[in-house]
Amino acid sequence: MKIIVCCKVVPNEEELQVLPSRELGFDGVPWKISQYDLNALESGKQLAAGGGSMTALSIGGTEALGSSKIQKDILSRGPDSLKLVLDDGKPFQDSLQTAKAIAGAVRAAGEYDLVLCGMGSSDLYFQEVGVQVGALLGLPAVNNVTGIKPAGEGVVEVERTLENEVEVLEVPLPAVLSVSSEINVPSVPAMRDIMKAGKKPVEKLDCPDCGEASLRTLEQMAPEQQERRQELVEGDGEEAVDALVRFLKKEGF
Amino acid sequence: MMSMQTIFVISEEAAVLAELCCGAKAAAERVTAILFGGEADAAAAASCGADRLLFCQPSGGAVAEDYAAAIAEEVKKDASALVVVNNSIRGRCLAGKLGVLLDTAVLTSVNSLERSGEDLVCRRMVYGGMAQRSEVFAKPYGVVTVGAGVFEAAPGGTQAAVSPFEGAPQGGLKCVNRTEKKEGGVDLVAAKRIVDVGRGLAKEEDLELCRRLAGALGAEVGCSRPVAENNKWLPKSSYMGITGVQVKPELILALGVSGQVQHIGGINKSRVIVAVNKDKSAPIFKHADFGVVGDLYKVVPALIEKLS
Repeated sequence: MKIIVCCKVVPNEEELQVLPSRELGFDGVPWKISQYDLNALESGKQLAAGGGSMTALSIGGTEALGSSKIQKDILSRGPDSLKLVLDDGKPFQDSLQTAKAIAGAVRAAGEYDLVLCGMGSSDLYFQEVGVQVGALLGLPAVNNVTGIKPAGEGVVEVERTLENEVEVLEVPLPAVLSVSSEINVPSVPAMRDIMKAGKKPVEKLDCPDCGEASLRTLEQMAPEQQERRQELVEGDGEEAVDALVRFLKKEGF
Repeated sequence: MMSMQTIFVISEEAAVLAELCCGAKAAAERVTAILFGGEADAAAAASCGADRLLFCQPSGGAVAEDYAAAIAEEVKKDASALVVVNNSIRGRCLAGKLGVLLDTAVLTSVNSLERSGEDLVCRRMVYGGMAQRSEVFAKPYGVVTVGAGVFEAAPGGTQAAVSPFEGAPQGGLKCVNRTEKKEGGVDLVAAKRIVDVGRGLAKEEDLELCRRLAGALGAEVGCSRPVAENNKWLPKSSYMGITGVQVKPELILALGVSGQVQHIGGINKSRVIVAVNKDKSAPIFKHADFGVVGDLYKVVPALIEKLS
């Protein structure tokens, strides 16, 4: 099975700063592989181990993807090679533009059976790119996938967990699957994986036509902090618990 | 740019449909609702606030997302429209397909939809709750998903004109098995009181303590992301946060919750937040109305005793 795993490199949201203007500060914020894409990489690795190949595909600006450190980080998680679409003109601002870039890169990659995506990126969390890639390529697309099993020539059996039920679907290949964070626990790369990563091929692809942006951003601000009373008692003895009970009673609970 | 005076509202759940229609009606002139369900469901939902209500009973094993092409055809009868889909997993799949068919992006988990002159302003949280982004669609069509609890349903709206949806499903995948989930997901969005379990809980068995407290308070049990995703002690539907469920109960009682931004984003609409954490510098205390700096293993049993 030939697998392409899409992964996004994002600013580490835990290190973003809120500026006095309530805008976000990105200065010195390190880049990381988007959290849920680690699940997609792990799924790809496990499936490829059963016989097949795995290529990672990442799309973004040079600042995010240009460093060999982040490229090696991706390559240490199972892929045989990495394909990059680098463009600093920010043509991937919304779910459709990103999906068009991925669909174009996947078409250019030639033969493939399975495109895997994470459930959503840690930064913008659209949760739609995988489904939109599938629709653009005219392929079956399933979201929130919690299990993937080869089921004979050209077919995978896909488990998809919905809010109240679990579906098992027969999906003809090629297909695009967005995996849920429940599908696996991403493994930590071993030293030999990290060593090997530096020797794997990295190929830069031309940026496909991503079309016009569908959205115009008016504003991006940290939410105003909700006023809270912040009453505090210290200790876990009877006094503290009594104070808590009094508070709850006063509030009508 | 595009005034989008028509909104299409799509849901598999009648209760959510009514909420979404009310939110849509406040933002646009015309609202068409599409309910996945039968004629009787549609008749019962007719006062949802839409001008017309189309019902679509998937047949022959088809599911909601298989109707994307047929719905896109219906939407395209308007030169410009916004499509609002219920923010369920199936809803998001349908929304993504609709987006491609209408050549537009999708904004998920939108938490506010407001008209500002010609524009329909959509707001949603980004960067794990660090920021709220306001956006407008720059194309004739837009697709958003909105979850339960964002808008309030106004009962007794005018009756919508009800008719069947004329459109066939396409490209369905073969479903070989379908089972109800055993874990019995709790409806945290509707809960009035929630005991919120964080990483301060030492082991899975101690959930029993939290459940007993919830019992004494008449509360449901929810948690932060690592408790569900890493420890898998509670189902994923129980975790609150920007990437999880967003709740607004009367009371949140956070036990051993540190208060990461992404978790706060899911609970900060609660009326009262109480936190118990032994770490005085935990960010949760800045978001709490009342905090106890102490060991939850001492505080909770004593609290249960005093409440029962």
